[in-house]
Amino acid sequence: MTAWLVRRVAAAIAIVWAVVTVTFVLVHVAPGTPFLPPAETPVDPAVLERLRSQFGLDRPLSEQYVRYLREIARGNLGESFALHRPVADALAEALPNTLTLAGAALCIEFVLGLALGVYQAARARRFGDVALGNATLFLYSVPTFWLGLLLLVVFGQWLRWFPVGGVVDVVTHESLPWAGRVADRLWHLALPAGTLGLVGAAATARFERAAMLEVLGQDYVRTARAKGLPERRVVLGHALRNALLPFVTLFGLAFPFLLTGAVLVETVFAWPGMGRLAAEAIFRRDYPVVTAAAMLASGMVVLGSLLADLLYAAADPRIRTSAA
Amino acid sequence: MNVRAWLALLGAIAVALAAVGEARRLAARGSRGRRFFRHATASGGLFVLAFFTTVAVAAPLVAPYPPSSMPEIVALRDAPPSLAHPLGTDLYSRDVWSRLVYGARVSLGIGALAMLVALTVGAAAGAVAGYARRWVDPVLMRLVDVGLSIPRIFVLLMAVALWERLPVSALVLVIGLTGWFGTSRLVRAEVLSLREREFVAAARALGARPARIILRHVLPNVAAPLIVSAALGIGSVMLLEASLSFLGIGVPSPVPSWGNMIADGKDQLATAPWTSLFPGLAIAVVVMALTAVGDALRDALDPGRETA
Amino acid sequence: MRAPHAVRASPSATVRLTALSVLLFVACAHREGCTGDYCGTLVIATAGEPESLLPPVITSAVGLAVADQLFLKLADIGLSTNTVGDEDFQPQLAERWEWADSVTLVFHLDPRARWQDGRAVTALDVAFTFDAYNDPAVNSPFRSGVRAISAVTARDSLTAVFRFRKRYPEMFYDAVYHLRILPAHLLRAIPRDQWRSALFGRRPVGDGPYRFVSWKAGEQLELAADSAFFLGRPHLRRVIWRLTPDLQVAVTQLVADQADAIEVLGPPDNLKRAQGAPQLTLYPYRGATYAYLGFNLAANGDSSRPHPLFGERELRRALVMAVDRERLLQNVWGDAARVPPGPMPQLWWIWDPETRMLPSDTAQASRLLTRLGWRDSDHDGVRKRQGNRLAFRIMVPTTSAVRRQYARLLQEQYRSLGAEVELDEVEPSVFAQRAAAGRFDALLISWNADPTPTSSIAQTWTREGIGRSNYLRYVSPAFDGLVERASAGAGRRAATQRTWRQAIELLNQDAPAVFLFAPQSVAAVHRRVADVTIRPDSWLALLRTWRIPADRLIDRDRVER
Repeated sequence: MTAWLVRRVAAAIAIVWAVVTVTFVLVHVAPGTPFLPPAETPVDPAVLERLRSQFGLDRPLSEQYVRYLREIARGNLGESFALHRPVADALAEALPNTLTLAGAALCIEFVLGLALGVYQAARARRFGDVALGNATLFLYSVPTFWLGLLLLVVFGQWLRWFPVGGVVDVVTHESLPWAGRVADRLWHLALPAGTLGLVGAAATARFERAAMLEVLGQDYVRTARAKGLPERRVVLGHALRNALLPFVTLFGLAFPFLLTGAVLVETVFAWPGMGRLAAEAIFRRDYPVVTAAAMLASGMVVLGSLLADLLYAAADPRIRTSAA
Repeated sequence: MNVRAWLALLGAIAVALAAVGEARRLAARGSRGRRFFRHATASGGLFVLAFFTTVAVAAPLVAPYPPSSMPEIVALRDAPPSLAHPLGTDLYSRDVWSRLVYGARVSLGIGALAMLVALTVGAAAGAVAGYARRWVDPVLMRLVDVGLSIPRIFVLLMAVALWERLPVSALVLVIGLTGWFGTSRLVRAEVLSLREREFVAAARALGARPARIILRHVLPNVAAPLIVSAALGIGSVMLLEASLSFLGIGVPSPVPSWGNMIADGKDQLATAPWTSLFPGLAIAVVVMALTAVGDALRDALDPGRETA
Repeated sequence: MRAPHAVRASPSATVRLTALSVLLFVACAHREGCTGDYCGTLVIATAGEPESLLPPVITSAVGLAVADQLFLKLADIGLSTNTVGDEDFQPQLAERWEWADSVTLVFHLDPRARWQDGRAVTALDVAFTFDAYNDPAVNSPFRSGVRAISAVTARDSLTAVFRFRKRYPEMFYDAVYHLRILPAHLLRAIPRDQWRSALFGRRPVGDGPYRFVSWKAGEQLELAADSAFFLGRPHLRRVIWRLTPDLQVAVTQLVADQADAIEVLGPPDNLKRAQGAPQLTLYPYRGATYAYLGFNLAANGDSSRPHPLFGERELRRALVMAVDRERLLQNVWGDAARVPPGPMPQLWWIWDPETRMLPSDTAQASRLLTRLGWRDSDHDGVRKRQGNRLAFRIMVPTTSAVRRQYARLLQEQYRSLGAEVELDEVEPSVFAQRAAAGRFDALLISWNADPTPTSSIAQTWTREGIGRSNYLRYVSPAFDGLVERASAGAGRRAATQRTWRQAIELLNQDAPAVFLFAPQSVAAVHRRVADVTIRPDSWLALLRTWRIPADRLIDRDRVER
């Protein structure tokens, strides 16, 4: 087990290193300058030139790369070109927001998706199943950002049930008691997490329905039914437990998809998270932020799949560590 | 919108209906076909795909106006749906329905082509990795791990940034080349299980070259899952194209794609919703159709599994 | 399809949350809060984010707007935005000033001025500030604005002396407009080459009407009134910038009554939305930006040769006349902008609608092209001459919705004239790089200008601007001469204005660009806010005097922190 773990961790580090290298090269090779004449005001090119040399961009790429790796090894992610602050600070501020969003979306995705999937499987081919099947199929098929834009206009602007963008109420949040603060956060979280979660829930529901149907057709479930157990216990007690197993892997895989969705949802809802930070950094050629974000994202994905494997191994004793 | 365009639209519907009818007739002959149409949504999905394909092919007939002409940039700006413009006009007084029709060409085309690229590369990489093993396999699979560990949208944004102006062919290539990782894992797993089977071993014993074995014996056996993942993959490529357009990168103007139509109309969502609502619905409907057909195909080709 | 099902599915999960939050608001409303004349809270919806609040390294408009509430200038420009002489300037940190001789300016600081940590503001701070702005290590973008000043010294603790290299009409403007006086005692210890990312820039201490409270990236930035401010207590107690990346989101927040004010509404759809919101009042003011389609007079990527198309003056003139500028303006801006009579925003005093420009006349443009030998001989829709196609690319940044819209309209206009245009929609970082390197045929660019035309015109349109912002490489000695004469401005204002007009007309005849729009800025402010005065060059400059009368306070004004 330990040897397996060591191997997996080493592989994980190698993957992250490879991602950093690829990102570093890509972003430096891409055309475009990180230093813009700001806000369309005429600016002395000497100012921009001095910035380039200040950040070492006038050096050969290999030299920059070696220096970057050395700084990373020291735990220094560098200073952002565009944000005028250390990259670590910017990431530390954005990451919790993305984790909140992704976490909430994941909750919606799994709770709602599981419930729908189990319900549909239990009523397979009856009206409820077909109606929900079509609804989830639709949600599964819409562009996430388009759904987000619609929800924003309908529930933010027209009905005004939810705030338009932002993480907390800028006026009242600080003066609320803690319960109020939590509610305030949830209220702001509702639309973005709902958008991301609904789309994910549709996928999960479809997956879970299939998994349940497969389990419900198996012998031990038939036996349970034959013994006269109530249908509710058959479905929830016997079948669900076994239909959950494939989920654990899905959980590990859900993360990169959530991050991709987060880029769009964060942009639509002005949510100050990692996705938006990284996307904007790519557009602005803010090299240190791009590489750091890629490192963080790939690190999390690799960690996620590692955890999923561990969970899987724990959940199913047949799968042992050799299957790495 | 003139009589010709309405007639052409009716014609497209008729063609699509006929295509579905024909498909059903053919399908009724075999057990796979019957399993395919056992899915309630399969016919509908097939119809949608047939309809949009017809419309895309016959775009000049179906579209009442040229897709990028701006007849009246002040008076017809953001005009709501009417008889002349059944889906309204956009910010530039262009007819939304005509652009939707021409956009079908671009969006479906990008979807299919990018999927083809992904499928080819994925199948090749998977087959080679699974068959060759030794050092090729771990190297390729670690590459796949790296590819899967960066969120795809970042890879796309960075890859797309390499071009100062992005030709559509590059867009297709980039989307395709970032989408093959999953396929290659799928194919590799199949190949691993197949290569020990008798018929492959026999072929090898007869001295067949690896390339021939892969092409003649292995790939046909993984065709079923590939076809299914292709159907689903086209949909995800279309969603991706739309997402990229939303982020400001995509098919360049004035060529319409459903993705850049949504993006062009997003700022008017509150004042002129039709400009981005309809292309969004079009994407949703086609992706739904693709998913439905993909599900039915999976059932038809792989009866072992019961799915949605 | 099943769309209604799908959309309706979401509220069920969220209705409970709404109920919760309604409760929350009821709870808030019941609490006792601020009452009286000094309560108001102003939430400003902002597209963008400051990069720092340390003035010499700020380049963003929103960063400067915030910093101007924290740091004072010696004197500030008046509502007329007249930049010539010193008559129209208002005392701020300096209570008065006098000219010791024609190149020596003496400021007397207001003895009541205090840094928010309690220290007095002294002339040493003024000298320190000039030194910082002028230091290459700080690398301030405003450095070129103070290059005419040779030295700033402190005669005593309240007297600062500016010495100029030469005498010119806008000396006073240069001395005060860009310099926000900095606290020497807090900044001296920070190495100059680290100012860019100095922590002070995220937690500034100033001497202005407001003091810094908090700043969360991408969310909000809050200032609070300094009740002891020596020029008078600000009426609005809290000012909160709500930071979003996107103008549309900002406008939606405003329309949905989740914000009180916005600097610029932008295109007419946003104006319409704001007009439909009963709680808002709109305040139009002269805009500071202008935009044009510029033709690269040098070959794409090779500045030593003339451009194969745009090197020819007559062709440029045809391409300018081909554009129906008014109709394009109607499509994009409605009534919210005007076609500028040359390279100028509405803000500049040299704006003169009488200025002669080439007419917008498609028929004439078409005839001219034919006369020049550009004919569509094979009827494929594109004109040709000696085997060359009349085809070029327009570069436009992806981030500007308005300019993208213009690019598409231009593409269609030129297509109908027989010119084949392709669009290069590129990221701003690429746009800037290619513009500076001259790697483009034509570009759609807009400039955000200072209140004075002098430096902006020189940097964008004269030989001095080659290698700077004169991306088009337009060089005309006659034009340069006129600009120099106008800037030196020895004569009366009317004479100077005539010189400017002559220069602009000369430029228009050379047709290096199609001047497309100069927007009228329209701010929107919640109607409960009274005494809203907007200075066109800096909309929040007079924020200190805006107020919310005690009888118009709403819940968000009363919240106690």
